[in-house]
Amino acid sequence: MIFRAIRELREAGVLGMNGRNAGFILTSNARSRYPSADDKVLTKRLALEHQVPTPPLYHVVEHHGDIVGFEERLHEHPEFVLKPARGSGGNGIVLIKDRTKAGFVKQSGEVIPLAEFAYHISGILSGIYSLGGQEDKAIFEALIYPDPVFAAVTHVGVPDIRVIVYRGVPVMGMVRLPTKDSDGKANLHQGAIGAGIEIGSGTTLTAVHRSRVITHHPDTGNQVSGIQVPHWGKMLLMAARAFDMTGLGYLGIDMIIDKDRGPLLLELNARPGLAIQLANRAGLRERLERVEKAPPEVFDKPEARVGWAVETFKNRDA
Amino acid sequence: MKRSVIIFAVILFFIPVSVISYRVFVLRYPFFPVAFGKIWHVSMEARVVAKEKEIAVEMGLPANYGGRRVMGEKVTSGTLDFNFFNEAPNRFGYWAGRVDIGDSQTISYQASVLVRSRKPREKPPALEPYPAGIEEKEQALAERLVAAWKGLSPPERLHAVANAASGEWGAAPPASSDLQEWAALREKYGPRMAFLILFWAADLPARIVEGLLLDDTITQDFHSWLEVWTGKKWESLSLETGNIYGGPSKLLPLVIGGYPPLIITGGKITEMRWTISHRMQDYWRLHFEHVRGSSRLLDRLSLFHLPAEFQQAFRILLLVPIAALIVSILRNVVGFPTFGIFMPVLMALAFRNTGLYYGLGIFTGIMLLGYLLRLGVDKLQLLLVPRLSMILTFVILALSFAALLGSKFDVKSVMAVGLLPIVILTMTIERFFILIEEAGLREAVRTVLGSAAVASISYWIINQEPIQFIFYFYPELLFGVAGLQLLLGRYTGFRLSEIFRFRELRRPS
Repeated sequence: MIFRAIRELREAGVLGMNGRNAGFILTSNARSRYPSADDKVLTKRLALEHQVPTPPLYHVVEHHGDIVGFEERLHEHPEFVLKPARGSGGNGIVLIKDRTKAGFVKQSGEVIPLAEFAYHISGILSGIYSLGGQEDKAIFEALIYPDPVFAAVTHVGVPDIRVIVYRGVPVMGMVRLPTKDSDGKANLHQGAIGAGIEIGSGTTLTAVHRSRVITHHPDTGNQVSGIQVPHWGKMLLMAARAFDMTGLGYLGIDMIIDKDRGPLLLELNARPGLAIQLANRAGLRERLERVEKAPPEVFDKPEARVGWAVETFKNRDA
Repeated sequence: MKRSVIIFAVILFFIPVSVISYRVFVLRYPFFPVAFGKIWHVSMEARVVAKEKEIAVEMGLPANYGGRRVMGEKVTSGTLDFNFFNEAPNRFGYWAGRVDIGDSQTISYQASVLVRSRKPREKPPALEPYPAGIEEKEQALAERLVAAWKGLSPPERLHAVANAASGEWGAAPPASSDLQEWAALREKYGPRMAFLILFWAADLPARIVEGLLLDDTITQDFHSWLEVWTGKKWESLSLETGNIYGGPSKLLPLVIGGYPPLIITGGKITEMRWTISHRMQDYWRLHFEHVRGSSRLLDRLSLFHLPAEFQQAFRILLLVPIAALIVSILRNVVGFPTFGIFMPVLMALAFRNTGLYYGLGIFTGIMLLGYLLRLGVDKLQLLLVPRLSMILTFVILALSFAALLGSKFDVKSVMAVGLLPIVILTMTIERFFILIEEAGLREAVRTVLGSAAVASISYWIINQEPIQFIFYFYPELLFGVAGLQLLLGRYTGFRLSEIFRFRELRRPS
């Protein structure tokens, strides 16, 4: 029975954890290239060089000595996001929408006095939110207003779009929609839902919620499939360029769609999860192997890679 | 799989195969160094005080008989002479000499006895006649008493007679006049002889055995019991209750057939003490003696040359890689989530002091306490190192408190927490907390359970004395373990847990 199940998974071209780690991450991602994905400041700089848009960067605080007067540097930007450069899982992020005499006004309306805000920055620098506990940087960047396209299937929070790129070729995508369960975070482990995206057309497919396939959002009750993701072609190109930026062969690219600025690169992940397969109801291994067999000229330019991916992976279920 | 990986693995497997072959075929090591059975260390010390000018002590000693093997014997005899003499199946030690009256001599004997759990086949003994002095009518009485059981198979007959000895005659009790006569006979010859007479009457060869109970103990007396032939083997029965002793490995016969185990002429024994202990150490010592005498390179490289106090540590250390291998298998092939690689292994090592149940209990308690504490200090947003140090401090406080409670209720296991698990527990609390934050409570609890399961399995494995011994004896096996670890390192197949995780994607062919 076990052997039959394993054979059926193999038939479906599913990629397992061991296959991903030993077969793709260890062989495609050089350890020395990891900082380009882990450090958001470095990611932003590389993105700038490769014409990949990211949320505008207002200010970076690297040392405790630089905290003093940080608010001067931000006086042109009443609304901004503060985040740790090496943070993960959304920890340590503060969204500020206004400034008053009393201090900074959070999105929730709560006011943080300047001194307390400076203390929070100091915490980020000391590595409270950085997993390894190493020293970190504090990033100030533009506040994002998400495009309303996913409003009907989002509880609270900002949905983001994840694309897996192998050797620069986008192979699979999904949009992660926060739920009440996930506390507004776009993290599948915490209960967000992931809806697969058809690579050719950029429309959403069915979704996965806690490793179960669903068709409707658990909180809003609206259908998650059939939503046209705006700027899809542009996003595929951004994802493809992320490979040129980092040199990481197996990469997860997280993007958000700002209603004014369009798609922006949020962060990169050198060990993207495998749940995307459930969201797309398709195996990754099958697609990765097709990339490996692609003609060499495909890999010359990001545009060529996107074109090849759209041709190869489109219309699967349509 | 990569070719170079396979070549490397084959080399790693080749090393233990060739070294062990060399040891077995050239150096004549035992192929399987652990015998199936237990080794007991038996030692006797006695003080003999002379009453006459010549004294002699004759004592039954363990013999190579009935699945037992006697090894490494040592005898001291003071100024007396010592000899063995055999009277199959018995073997006696004979200490004798001329001494001054009132002089006291210390004699001693020690040996390791391997007791195999299976007895070898034996020839059926001849049915002996009743001992002289038992009257015809007494024989007839005994035969009348057992007449009802004549048709039973020997083992069933044995049970019937054994029950009769404690007064249970079963469904058809004999006439009350016979019972009265039987009681008189028991009075006359004593319950032992009456018991024997009954077995003889039932055509079951039986004999009295004097020896020792194999238990970690010190005793001054011999123990006697009954052996009854059931057609295939000798069954040992308690003389008092008629109960059958479970398994042959619980008794060490010294003198079979009702002879006295100790005869002293010309003096008396004032103190005699038998010390019996089961120690794996005896395997160790046995092989150590063999290896120490050898000048071969491999023998000189043996871990048996380490000072004894370090040997214990290495016995465990050699098994840590196996535990790590188990962790790799459970994580990468089965898909158990665990906190890191070494945490379950170190937990398993810690369980060696506390025992599994207390160990798991302490683990759970500390994790809960640590989690609550971590939750409490989370709001304070402490830096990593001071935060961990503080949790560490509380872990130690909690362990001290547990030890105090243990001492109050006399539970040693709770006090036996070593230094080892404390730092690991602290790190685990931190990771547990982060996991709850990042992946949710379910995932975190799954990981805790996975770690506990892996730790328990590893604990069970490293506690197996035969495995400890084989690896100590043939440490080159570790190359093989490394080979397996290497192959696992390039295992790209599915984890068993993924069959469930990706069940929606399965495509029936």
